[in-house]
Amino acid sequence: MVLVLALGDLHIPHRAPDLPAKFKSMLVPGKIQHTICTGNLCIKEVHDYLKSLCPDLHVTRGEYDEESHYPETETLTIGQFKVGLCHGHQIIPWGDLDSLAMLQRQLDVDILVTGHTHQFKAYKHEGGVVVNPGSATGAYSSITYDVNPSFVLMDIDGLRVVVYVYELIDGEVKVDKIDFKKTTTPHALTKILSPNNSSESEYFGHTFGVLCFLIIAVEWCLASEQQS
Amino acid sequence: MSPAPIGAPLPEPSLPPRKRFSDLRSVRWRIDLGILPSSPSASIEDLRRVTADSRRRYASLRRRLLIDPHLPKDGSRSPDIAMDNPLSQNPDSTWGRFFRNAELDRMVNQDLTRLYPEDDSYLQSPSCQAMLRRILLLWCLRRPEYGYRQGMHELLAPLVYVLHADLDHLSQVQKLYENCFKDEFDGISFSESDLVSNSGFTKITNWDTVTDKDSDFHESTLTVSSLDDLDPNARDIFLLSDAYGAEGELGVVLSERFIEHDAYCMFDGLMNGAHGVVAMADFFSPSPAIGSSTGLPPIIEASSALYHLLSIVDSSLHSHLVELGVEPQYFALRWLRVLFGREFSLDDLLVIWDELFSFPNGTCIDNDAEYNFKILSSPRGAFIAAMAVSVLLHLRSSLLATEHATSCLQRLLNFPKNVDINKLIEKARSLQVLALDSNVSSSSSPRSFNRNKLVIGRDYSLPTGSASPKTPLYPLPDSYWEEKWRVLHKAEPLLKGNNDHTVSGRTIKKALVQRFGLSRTESDPSPTKPGSEKKVSRSSVRRRLLDDLSRDMNLEADHGKSECEEVPGIANNKESVSVEEDAAQDFPEEPADKNTIGRTSDCMAEEACLSGENSSVFSTATSPHSMGNDHDNDSEKSSVTSNSFVGDNDEEMIHGEECCNHCDDNQPVQDPETTSSTTIKPETDVSLKQVAVSREQRPLSGKFQWFWKFGRGSGEGNVEKGGHEDLQRSPAAGNVNKDVLGSSASDGCCNSCGVGKKKDLGEKKVMGTLKNLGQSMLENIQVIEAVFQQDRGQPGSQENLTNNILGGKGQVTAMTALKELRKISNILCEM
Repeated sequence: MVLVLALGDLHIPHRAPDLPAKFKSMLVPGKIQHTICTGNLCIKEVHDYLKSLCPDLHVTRGEYDEESHYPETETLTIGQFKVGLCHGHQIIPWGDLDSLAMLQRQLDVDILVTGHTHQFKAYKHEGGVVVNPGSATGAYSSITYDVNPSFVLMDIDGLRVVVYVYELIDGEVKVDKIDFKKTTTPHALTKILSPNNSSESEYFGHTFGVLCFLIIAVEWCLASEQQS
Repeated sequence: MSPAPIGAPLPEPSLPPRKRFSDLRSVRWRIDLGILPSSPSASIEDLRRVTADSRRRYASLRRRLLIDPHLPKDGSRSPDIAMDNPLSQNPDSTWGRFFRNAELDRMVNQDLTRLYPEDDSYLQSPSCQAMLRRILLLWCLRRPEYGYRQGMHELLAPLVYVLHADLDHLSQVQKLYENCFKDEFDGISFSESDLVSNSGFTKITNWDTVTDKDSDFHESTLTVSSLDDLDPNARDIFLLSDAYGAEGELGVVLSERFIEHDAYCMFDGLMNGAHGVVAMADFFSPSPAIGSSTGLPPIIEASSALYHLLSIVDSSLHSHLVELGVEPQYFALRWLRVLFGREFSLDDLLVIWDELFSFPNGTCIDNDAEYNFKILSSPRGAFIAAMAVSVLLHLRSSLLATEHATSCLQRLLNFPKNVDINKLIEKARSLQVLALDSNVSSSSSPRSFNRNKLVIGRDYSLPTGSASPKTPLYPLPDSYWEEKWRVLHKAEPLLKGNNDHTVSGRTIKKALVQRFGLSRTESDPSPTKPGSEKKVSRSSVRRRLLDDLSRDMNLEADHGKSECEEVPGIANNKESVSVEEDAAQDFPEEPADKNTIGRTSDCMAEEACLSGENSSVFSTATSPHSMGNDHDNDSEKSSVTSNSFVGDNDEEMIHGEECCNHCDDNQPVQDPETTSSTTIKPETDVSLKQVAVSREQRPLSGKFQWFWKFGRGSGEGNVEKGGHEDLQRSPAAGNVNKDVLGSSASDGCCNSCGVGKKKDLGEKKVMGTLKNLGQSMLENIQVIEAVFQQDRGQPGSQENLTNNILGGKGQVTAMTALKELRKISNILCEM
């Protein structure tokens, strides 16, 4: 059982002074095993704070991040899940599911976490999950002004992931829960097997034909010899 | 195949419960711990039923307390997701409890990974570790008032180990009586007609077929008639492990599957004491037990009970420990909490626990009767205390030899591994009777009761113990001093014998000294000689020294005071003479340096005497009894010495410098020497049993101060003229310096010895200080010898040969001083 905290778009100190106090009191060290952050922290102090929650921190680069060494995308394996991470300003149109699904296929991940739109979203898509944790500070974005602060906590256990969504609405923390089960895809197995089968039968048919031809030819030769 | 048939019926009332499952330790322990019925009339069926019940209880407990946050509780999902989420602050939420359990789990795991890492691979196997973790976790969750404390896992581990070992035993027996244990039920039930079987166990197989829960009566009769052929132990094992007995699979008393359940029950029984007096859980709790009269935490009370028992059995050891300020809980905490699990190996521990558990835990004192210690009121608790005391008595001699609380505790906490466990238990058994008696009798007779109270008060109100050594709280028996004498004398040969091993370096040095003396007369200064010769000379020296010592001791014992006062004078004379002689001998050998050396050696000889006197001022000043007359005289002389220091030119400065060097060298040497002297305590410090630590410290520190002063004073002389350091003369000067040290030490000690003698012979205080002086002299000797050792390392090449000779000279003179020192210190110790 692994708890993964996903958050992003804090925009501290440009658009928000700090994380909401209610969030801060909930986020205590010791419970969370991994933190993934989509980017736009924007300063090093926030990075340090997140490190204090959990030492295993993964950050991708947002367009406002001061630190330039964050990668554009990152993938990590947690339990039996592959998790992809990207800020999302690179993917246009912003927040478009199909574009995100493309990235998901590119990175070959089960769970894709992106940000940038400052709006919480979670889709089950093509046997995977696409999650946008929203903005943890409720910072405004170029798309929208009224943003509720939100972040996501994923409880990964075996083939099952439970996504807890924490959203601050009118000063109250609202929690939502989304269950998701990874399925071992059976059709992939058949895909692997079927071309093999066909080629084998083809090959078999081919050799059979050749054999028949040879037999006929030999018979014909024998017959012609007898005639002569 | 099976031994002689035994005609007794199965539920054998004549068998005492102890003997019942003699080779099934786990079953016996379970009976002793109150998990299985203890009455001898309880049949195997009863045992199985009780076992099954306890297992059911554990299973339900496990289901209830071990939390998986992913499983919805009772099918009905809690709708309040705002409360039941991983970040919930609510401690009652599933996740909150889950995280608390995880925390506990981590704590337990830390200890479990270090559990018997070398002894047994089974306890370290992952499955077993997980099991231990679950058991501990459940117990802690069940008893949140105790929580997990370090040490609980060590109580649990032997229980699990025993269960595991019995399963091994079971499989062995199964192999032996294969026919009997073969599970033929399924095959035979359909073809009873060809139930031929070549063995005499037809009836057993028959019994197997009949065995059913419905036919209890039939079963028992058949069992009796057929299983008589087996020897009773094997029969018990068979019945205990039969899957078709009462309660079916769940009732199999020895079962691999239910080790966890059984271990939990045993652990719970051990920790709670099964409504008895000794509940191990109390030992882990910091708050006083309910209804305790002392208001102390149970573990403290138990350890004071231990001291109480010790004071009855061996008052001298008790008073020694009390005076050192060794509180019983310092070591008893560890002993009692894990029931000696740390002191003995696992196999020995099982034997101890066998004995321990075999005593009933119920109180043997009426409720209205008053008793001192709760732990002593039950036979089992009394045995625990008795066992601890017997361990203490086992260490008795080495404990009595200690003079610090730390070294004492060191010995207590590093219990030797190769101990005859049976002897300890034997002793503990006899002590247990005493403990039980004392606890009862102390309540009945008011006089002894008061005495006990005093003991307690002393233990706790005066933790240092040495604060009131004169107050007659303890009427020491007269035999005590006699005993001390005896111990002292016994230790004497021990000292001699051990010196050969531990301080062989010392003897080598002596041999070298002798050799140098010889080589000078032969004028053959070759530094290396065959080892065999060395050995011979060494041993001869050794023997001579010992003879000398013993003769002297006898002499001193006879003649006493006057003789003692004469000795130092002789020693002094001899010494100075020898120095001068050596100097004279050196003249022809060293024409180049002869003038200077002659002068220095003369100076040294003079100085040796003078500063010897001088230093005696210091030592007497530091010793509590200083004589005014001596002081005046010596101060005059010291001024003379200082004059000679000033009056002399470069040589003196160089000498001072060398002195300084050597003194500086001395400092680092001293420390290891003193520490080593503490490690050789059993041999050397036997005489110091009764001396309080504080008194011991004073002369020691005084001595060190003196050393420092010496070093500094001589160091000041050469501050201005640092630069020309004569390497060739360094050993000589150093050795002379040692002379000074040696002679001064002997003088000082002799003086104070005389002083002490004059003062009061009978007074024990003075005796203590005298012993201390002897002790410090011994250390002095060690210091000097350490300097020798340093010197030995330096020379070696041809050009330093002359120095070797000089060194030899110095060593010889120092050796005489050393011998005197030894004699005197032995005399002192004798007193």
